[in-house]
Amino acid sequence: MSLVQISKVSRKYQLNSISVTALKNVDLAVAAGEFLALAGPSGSGKTTLLNIMGCIDKPTTGEVLFDNTQTASLSSDQLSDLRAEKISFVFQNFNLFPVLTAVENVEYALFLKKMTADQRRKKAEAALDLMGLLHLAGHKPLEMSGGQQQRVAIARAIVREPLLILADEPTANLDHKTGEEIVDLMKASNRQNKTTFIFSTHDQKVIDRADRVVRIWDGEIVSA
Amino acid sequence: MMTLKIALRNIFRHKARSVITLSTIVFGCVALIFIGGYFEDIFTQLRESYIRSQVGHIQIFKKGFNENGKADPYLYFLEDDQQIKAEIQAFPEVKSIAARLNFSGLISTGETTIVFLGQGLEPQYEQTVPQQETRDLRAFKKTSKSGSPVISFGQGLVEEDQRQVILGQGLAQTMGAQIGSTITLLTNTVYGSTNAMDMNVKGVFYTSAKDYDEMFLRLPLKTAQKLLNTSSVGSWVVWLNKTEDTDKVYNSLRAMIKQKNLNLELRRWEDLADFYNKTVAMFNKFYLIMRIVTGIIVVLGIFNTLNMAVMERISEIGTLMALGVRRSGVMKLFLLEGLVLGTVGGLLGVVAGMIVVSLVSSVGITMPPPPGASISWLSTPKIIPSVVTSTFVLSVVVGGFSALFPAYKASRLQITTALRYR
Repeated sequence: MSLVQISKVSRKYQLNSISVTALKNVDLAVAAGEFLALAGPSGSGKTTLLNIMGCIDKPTTGEVLFDNTQTASLSSDQLSDLRAEKISFVFQNFNLFPVLTAVENVEYALFLKKMTADQRRKKAEAALDLMGLLHLAGHKPLEMSGGQQQRVAIARAIVREPLLILADEPTANLDHKTGEEIVDLMKASNRQNKTTFIFSTHDQKVIDRADRVVRIWDGEIVSA
Repeated sequence: MMTLKIALRNIFRHKARSVITLSTIVFGCVALIFIGGYFEDIFTQLRESYIRSQVGHIQIFKKGFNENGKADPYLYFLEDDQQIKAEIQAFPEVKSIAARLNFSGLISTGETTIVFLGQGLEPQYEQTVPQQETRDLRAFKKTSKSGSPVISFGQGLVEEDQRQVILGQGLAQTMGAQIGSTITLLTNTVYGSTNAMDMNVKGVFYTSAKDYDEMFLRLPLKTAQKLLNTSSVGSWVVWLNKTEDTDKVYNSLRAMIKQKNLNLELRRWEDLADFYNKTVAMFNKFYLIMRIVTGIIVVLGIFNTLNMAVMERISEIGTLMALGVRRSGVMKLFLLEGLVLGTVGGLLGVVAGMIVVSLVSSVGITMPPPPGASISWLSTPKIIPSVVTSTFVLSVVVGGFSALFPAYKASRLQITTALRYR
């Protein structure tokens, strides 16, 4: 049973007067619990594919089925609710809120769930602890290294126990060793919670750690 | 709470910018509270001056006087019924009631003869008894019963006076009259014959109204009655302990007139205070314009701050929406930031405004005589609770309003574009 099913998806952008095709007739099925790498060079369409699977972008043509729901028919608010409930993101630039501390950043992911402040704080601290960062709970992002920030971002992603976590080049801004640690943390979460992970990368050592690799080239999937 | 926490922290993310924005709001609030308090002081002093120096709080006439009395005032003279006066005097809000007799005639020193307006009054009951002049405006304000006429030369009238008269300053100057000089008053009696009386100038007074001082003289009521050959009076003037009780006493008097079927009619001070009413209307219009201008300045200040905040936080807005925050949620966040700016600025502004008003009021501002007046006056701006409240509410509302467009703009961003933005 697929968690995400993409059929004949194309995505075109209009850049001034030029039409750019980022994805061409892409078909892809991702099963629940997979640890999947989207590999390809810069500009190959990895981010566009992640955005479409994460319901933050819509295809120009084709269908996206997420957890048995046709996303094309959903309104902006319904898509927001779907993401809040079932999807988390990890970004290349970490995208933590600079005005919040580490634990508050993690808590914020739970803000949209019906939960008491106390429950939110406990879960956030547990997620940070899992990332080995409980001692930095009160620190703001700018007081942390890149690796630490990305681990906070992963804690924020896993804390609400989503069905799918999408990570766009999560190791691109980190040194190699830290990048490997980040992938290991993601993999541990995948193994422990059966959370589906899809991450994009062009780092071969990171690719090697994935269970399945989907290669994308010039907007087309060349091997899945 | 989380949204409020984020809004608060975002506001103080750029301290210098927020301080400038808050300063704009604070200065706006201070200006509104100060001007509001200053105008209120003008209104109060003008009102009290008019009441104390001329019309009292309520005037009682014979029925029909105000409609037809100008053509033939003698027909509408009142019997000076001491029993009714005593009943009115018994109202707890009433300070005093006094009879008056207004008339006109010619005043002559032998060399100069001009028209005058005379006011026969009972000095022992009058609350417009002139005060001795002082150059200390603050002391004057405390002792002058807020605008009573002031004796600039000689002395005021007392109960025992008979052939004594006090002249308005302008009238005295025109006549070239000195203290102690004799003048002749010539007028028609109520029966149409001419009567004249020699009077002794006891004092010279001025009020806040220059026109009044150029025409009016005052003399004891009984002397005026002798001149007009009548035992009646023109009106009764009622003074209250507090001007705020005017409507209450007015309604009680109306009820009393109806119940006893008295042939009387009433006029409140505001019915007679045309200049005051127009001045208040004009100043209120000024104040409204000032509020609008201040509101626009505050709107622009907050708008600029929040618009810059949206531009700087595009990527964060993308992250929020990727996390599942609805577009309305993003809009709420920025609206809340505007409201918080308005609220914090408003709170600081009203506190600063009240401090400024208190400080200025403790010193006072010496003001030149207004048009048509002859007295400099000391302005002591007041803290007006309704002005403070409305200024605070204005600040909060304007804060929210200023945030509308930036908040809408933020909520309309495309998530993928926002996430790419650096």
